[in-house]
Amino acid sequence: MFDNVFKSLKAIKDSFTADAIRRAEKRATAAAADDALPAGDGVFKPQRISRLIDIVQPATLAGPTPEEICGIAPKMPKQEIRQRLALLYRRYNRAASSLDPKLRHEAERMLDAIVTVRENVFGPI
Amino acid sequence: MADFVGIDLGTTLSGLAYLRPDGQPEIVPNGDGERLTPSVVYFDQHEEITLVGSAARDGGDPERTVYQIKRHMDDPDHYVEVDGRRWTPAEISALILSKLKRDCSRLIGDITEAVITVPANFNELARKSTIAAAEMAEIKVSRLVNEPTAAAVYYAHTQDVNGRILVFDLGGGTLDVTILEVQNEEIQILTSEGARHLGGSNIDEMLLELYADQYRQQVNADLFNDERQRRRALQAAEDAKKMLSKLQRYTDTIGNDINGIARIELHREAFEKAVSKLLTRSIMLVEQALNGVSLKPTDINHVVLVGGSTRIPKVKTALEKFFGKQPKSCSNVDEAVALGAAVFAQRASHVREVCNQSYGTLAMLVNASTGEEAVRNSIVIAKNTPIPCSKTQVYMTSEANERFIEVDITQGEDDDPRFVDVIGKITLEVPPDRPAGCEVAVTYSYDENQRVRALVVDKQSGRSQEVAVSYRGAGILSEEELLKRGRALRQLRIE
Repeated sequence: MFDNVFKSLKAIKDSFTADAIRRAEKRATAAAADDALPAGDGVFKPQRISRLIDIVQPATLAGPTPEEICGIAPKMPKQEIRQRLALLYRRYNRAASSLDPKLRHEAERMLDAIVTVRENVFGPI
Repeated sequence: MADFVGIDLGTTLSGLAYLRPDGQPEIVPNGDGERLTPSVVYFDQHEEITLVGSAARDGGDPERTVYQIKRHMDDPDHYVEVDGRRWTPAEISALILSKLKRDCSRLIGDITEAVITVPANFNELARKSTIAAAEMAEIKVSRLVNEPTAAAVYYAHTQDVNGRILVFDLGGGTLDVTILEVQNEEIQILTSEGARHLGGSNIDEMLLELYADQYRQQVNADLFNDERQRRRALQAAEDAKKMLSKLQRYTDTIGNDINGIARIELHREAFEKAVSKLLTRSIMLVEQALNGVSLKPTDINHVVLVGGSTRIPKVKTALEKFFGKQPKSCSNVDEAVALGAAVFAQRASHVREVCNQSYGTLAMLVNASTGEEAVRNSIVIAKNTPIPCSKTQVYMTSEANERFIEVDITQGEDDDPRFVDVIGKITLEVPPDRPAGCEVAVTYSYDENQRVRALVVDKQSGRSQEVAVSYRGAGILSEEELLKRGRALRQLRIE
């Protein structure tokens, strides 16, 4: 799980001091133990990366629902859901054109989940 | 020789237009008499000949045929191997451009320079590859212009409209949404958003699944077992899409030599249900474009449809429902981009475009209220900045005695480094024994072709370094290779 975190930080490592990176990795390692779903508020927390990848590649047979993948809580207000989906759509639509093939693949799965939630909550177009 | 030429290098179809002496754009047919040329390349096994267009699409062995190469223009590692020879996406595109250049030159004179259109969401690499393809085909790119911009220019040219226009361009491979403002002769692009893998060919694939399901139910076997059979079925699905855009019901017979024939019956309702997710994604892209410039649906005066798939009635009704007004078709949805590119070639100075992506650098940022440090994507040029432009941000070194300052050039507007591409790196050697906190100015310049250059200046020592972004990968040619392959390509017999 942590490989993904550290891999994504590799490029950053090249640019910044070892101390700063050690601090970031320490935070990432500690945070990766946290089971909270990605908040998606734009605040940088490296553990999100591993959480998202874990979620879209579920270990169990049933797997998470599209709502869980998108971090939609059962009683979340519709306006909040709309904002959350807009944020995720912007992020993953962009990621679908990433130079990183893994991220492109992940983006397609996420876009599917985002659209499913949108249709579940707001109805089909 | 035509002075103003525009080329739509499309995912499924390409076209070339020029501006007549009376100022009206016109499509130039290819040597096969077609107004648009399928963007398909076939490498023959027996003869030293490369087919481009309908002959390549309809008659060739799929294993030796290249379809939709445009979808890979942004992939640094993609290449096509035929008879042990590797072809990059730029080379395949160069073959298509060569066919257009050679065929159309016979009618309008030599073509040496052209405006070439690209999807609005084409990234830096894909734009660079498109320019490389043109160079190999001996076409100088006077400008790259976004497809919806070209279509909007054509619409404004023919319809004499003013106000805010949203162009919904559902092409063969991508969806582009552009919002622009037209005031008489002047056109100001406000924003462009694009979605990859959301185009007519994705709709064809959905219909192909309906075909395959019905076939399996009737024959208890797979509709296709190899690429050749799949291609035939896909062509049938494309035909069905066109028919279901006009009729409520469509019947077809399809099959293969091994499992026999089945009768397929499709209803528009089932078709619309099958593509509903794609439509939802389309509307979400429209919302994203509107949000990006803080506009509401009611702020849009005209909704303009471009691209063959906008003929699907559900596309029109979904947009009409969203905007509360009927969208208008750009008189010829298939040719509008090429025609607009020819108009643009003459009127480029009247069109103000914006930066389609944000460019920045990775920086350790400190949250002033919490003190928390985090590596973030720090944006230098924000998306939707009018271009050409140049912006500077000043950063400080974080440690004493640093000898090298490394600046990553990022593409993408997300704060989170995970969701942006690092497309280049500048390393600047600085003098020894310096304290932390030395100022480093990072300047990005963005040109009219949506290409970026970066300049890093160490303010204390005055040392600087400037680079244009370059890429490495199996699908990328070096400058030297590009010249060599261009020479070889010009020797090929292309029909």
